[in-house]
Amino acid sequence: MTTLEVQNLFKRFPGAQHFAVNDVSFGLSDNEILALVGPSGCGKTTTLRLIAGLERPDAGLIRLSDRVVASETVFVPPEKRGMGMVFQDHALFPHLTVYENVAFGLRGKNQTEIRTTVGEILHMVGLLSYSKRYPHELSGGERQRVALARALAPRPVLVLMDEPFSSLDADLRAEVREHVRGILKSMRATVIFVTHDQDEALYMGDRLAVMQRGELEQIGTPEEIFHESNTRFVSEFMGDSDFLRGKVVSGGIQTEIGLLKQMVDLPASTPVEIALRADDVEFEIDGSGNSLIVGRFFRGAFNLYRLRLNSGQILHAFTDHTKIFEVGTRVQARVIAEHPLTVFSG
Amino acid sequence: MDFGPRSAVCGLWSLNHPQPFYTSWRLARSSGQRLCYNSILMLNSVETTPPTTFSVRTIKNIAISPRLVIAAGLVALFVAIPLVYIFVRAFSAEPDAWSRLFQTRIWKLLGNTLLLVLAVTGGAVVTGVSMAWLTERTDLPGRKVFRWMLAMPLAIPAYIGGIVHLALLRPRGGIIPQVLERVFGQPIPTPSPIGFWGATFILTLFMFPYVYLLSGAAFRSLHASLEEASRVFGRTPLQTFFHVTLPALRPGLMAGALLVALDILAEYGTVALLRYETFSSAIFVQLSGRYDRSSASVLSGILVALAILILWGELRLQGRARFTQMESAWRPAPVIGLGKWRVPALLLAMGIVFASLIVPVAVLLVWSVQALLDPQTLAVIVRTGSQGFGSYVWNSLWSSGLAALIAVIFSLPVALLAVRYPNRFSRFVSRLCQVGYAIPGVVIALSLVLLVNRALPILYATPLVVVIAYVLRHMPQAVRASESALNQLSPSLEEASRTLGRTSLQTLVQVTLPLILPGLLAGGSLVFLTSLKELPATLLLRPPGFDTLAVRVWVWAGEGFYVPAAPAALLLVIASALPLSFLLRREQIFK
Repeated sequence: MTTLEVQNLFKRFPGAQHFAVNDVSFGLSDNEILALVGPSGCGKTTTLRLIAGLERPDAGLIRLSDRVVASETVFVPPEKRGMGMVFQDHALFPHLTVYENVAFGLRGKNQTEIRTTVGEILHMVGLLSYSKRYPHELSGGERQRVALARALAPRPVLVLMDEPFSSLDADLRAEVREHVRGILKSMRATVIFVTHDQDEALYMGDRLAVMQRGELEQIGTPEEIFHESNTRFVSEFMGDSDFLRGKVVSGGIQTEIGLLKQMVDLPASTPVEIALRADDVEFEIDGSGNSLIVGRFFRGAFNLYRLRLNSGQILHAFTDHTKIFEVGTRVQARVIAEHPLTVFSG
Repeated sequence: MDFGPRSAVCGLWSLNHPQPFYTSWRLARSSGQRLCYNSILMLNSVETTPPTTFSVRTIKNIAISPRLVIAAGLVALFVAIPLVYIFVRAFSAEPDAWSRLFQTRIWKLLGNTLLLVLAVTGGAVVTGVSMAWLTERTDLPGRKVFRWMLAMPLAIPAYIGGIVHLALLRPRGGIIPQVLERVFGQPIPTPSPIGFWGATFILTLFMFPYVYLLSGAAFRSLHASLEEASRVFGRTPLQTFFHVTLPALRPGLMAGALLVALDILAEYGTVALLRYETFSSAIFVQLSGRYDRSSASVLSGILVALAILILWGELRLQGRARFTQMESAWRPAPVIGLGKWRVPALLLAMGIVFASLIVPVAVLLVWSVQALLDPQTLAVIVRTGSQGFGSYVWNSLWSSGLAALIAVIFSLPVALLAVRYPNRFSRFVSRLCQVGYAIPGVVIALSLVLLVNRALPILYATPLVVVIAYVLRHMPQAVRASESALNQLSPSLEEASRTLGRTSLQTLVQVTLPLILPGLLAGGSLVFLTSLKELPATLLLRPPGFDTLAVRVWVWAGEGFYVPAAPAALLLVIASALPLSFLLRREQIFK
């Protein structure tokens, strides 16, 4: 069943030249986590705030559980939408205790009910013993969990999370996101999760939506986004791709480092670019090879080499950490991908 | 010079303080204090400018509540009417009045007023900056004590300081000339506090702490590396001071100087006491003595135009005084050794403290003791009924308290609109509500007298008119404190409340108000304190028999009864000194 439907959403801020959100449409099914990802300023947070009712769209339709909450004629204020939101800065009320913060969204229920709900949810995030504390007495990770508990306590139809981990330290972040994903899944919550971090999006999202300059570039599973990027931007943003120039020939694509046997639906001699990641490229020492090692980066379990082809194009390749080659060694590079590579007509 | 480093400083600052409001609640009381401290200087720019990180997303359009717009509009109207009315009256005065005034009085008054403004502002800047430099940057002995002693004259209203100095130095009958005559057996000429030089001296003594506190804060927040860089690039310490340090302090200093200038334009008590005629005192005389309202209107129109010009400059500077922000990489500048100048510097600082703090307080204390010891004066003071001391205190308390309450309530919609929905209209309303700074007490009194007579005769000759005057004159402090408090509150707290099912009104009551309460209290107490000291508007608007502490001090001192006036004056000084010292102690540096 569809929880959320967004149709042709537009938003431009007064005085701004470009649309912050430009014709964005997507849907979200029950119990699904959608990661909205893109570089800063791409409109992902604005999209989230439009859904929350914190901004009013210029045009478009937002339907929540078959109820229209925003359109040309309708605007339901945020307090009437029944969504939960986790803010980037957590936005915990500093004058209320942890318990009172979580209970804030539970008005209109009787006291015992509230106590049970808050107790359950605090237990779930592991903060039951902290209920009398104030936000400033908590660590960053604990605040994060209180913010999540507060958003989840009223059992919202949809949970919106705006870069919730960005204020945490890097090592804490990995731990917290695992925990949070576990909680969200166990509560079968429907979630939109905004982030600018590709790893985080790949980890958190059942599906990913990649945005750029206010437009939705691609939406799909992490695998689709990663391996079958629709646009050069998605491929570049999601996976540090290099782009190798080539030309369509009858047997596939002719490139500087050999013939790629992959059929494309383009007329012969069309110039194209193939997105290559470091795990798609392999090389061996060859004094008359097609490229030169210009850099080596130790990455723990493996080495990342930067290769310069004769034409000056740059590719990257992984090798086992036991194989070490000097910078300046001439090598023969080739493509070893076992999956179809993404090709863009150049 | 290129502005790279400055913007880098700003950028760093906002990076280092991305979401400071957890800590800010922990510091809630101290953040109230910071607001206070800045609003005492009537300036919210130097230390607690809002982190710009908040404002990025505040330009939102979830239904600006029409109720809020209407409320803020009404407050703006309340402020605008007396102001506009002054101009209306000024320009509708008979051409006769204009030409007569232009031929006789205006040029003299303008010259007098501007001369005094320039002299006092200059004096306050020189004194304030040099004292700040001595206590913040050099090895002056007793710096910690001096920091306190140089800030405390802020608690003494200039007219009270003037009364004390006048009583001491008056050419005929002053205490010091009398003592000298008795000792030497013949009159010894002493400097007289009457006239231009006297007024400049007295006003500088009691105005310089504004500049002192501001430039002290600026000296402290300035990067040591800035001056070190200048030295590395070949400037001597003196060149560094003039080419690097002072320009870096300039925005804060200018704003402070303009505030001093506004205060001098509005000053009535001191100039009247020392018989130096300015616009304010001339208007007062027209109003109270000759009842010549059209002349008073013309003079007021010119005075307000002048003041608005200065206020406009101050408001423009407010936004710019930012790059003196402290940040994490800050470290204190090295202390400069005074060497052989230590003793002269110490004597200078002691002289200023002596004249601006020790003499007035000591004299008031002695007089007060005398008053309490002498049964006759004691009887005058403790007399009950409407003529008793208790009734003056009570009148002062309730009128100033009510004014503070109204000012804070009025400031709320204005500040909410200006901070949460920044646009042309809200900025205009906010600026308009700060115009009170530029309307001297005498002008507000004139405008209210005329307006109440015409539109609301019920209010005529009631203490409520006095309260309205206080609100109009001192609301800017409440508006600035409220805006400052709101600026420190992340809008995401309010948004969180909305997503958790609260309407905008519920959010205001349950989230916003509890969190900005310290700032509101700070603003309210400032309005209360300044209203307590307000002299000209009270004198002109009070109904017969409505005496406040300030009025009594003035009337008694004017009739030469210094001893009975002293306890009331001392009470006013203590009432200001207590909160001031409380606020100062909260600043790290005054501990």
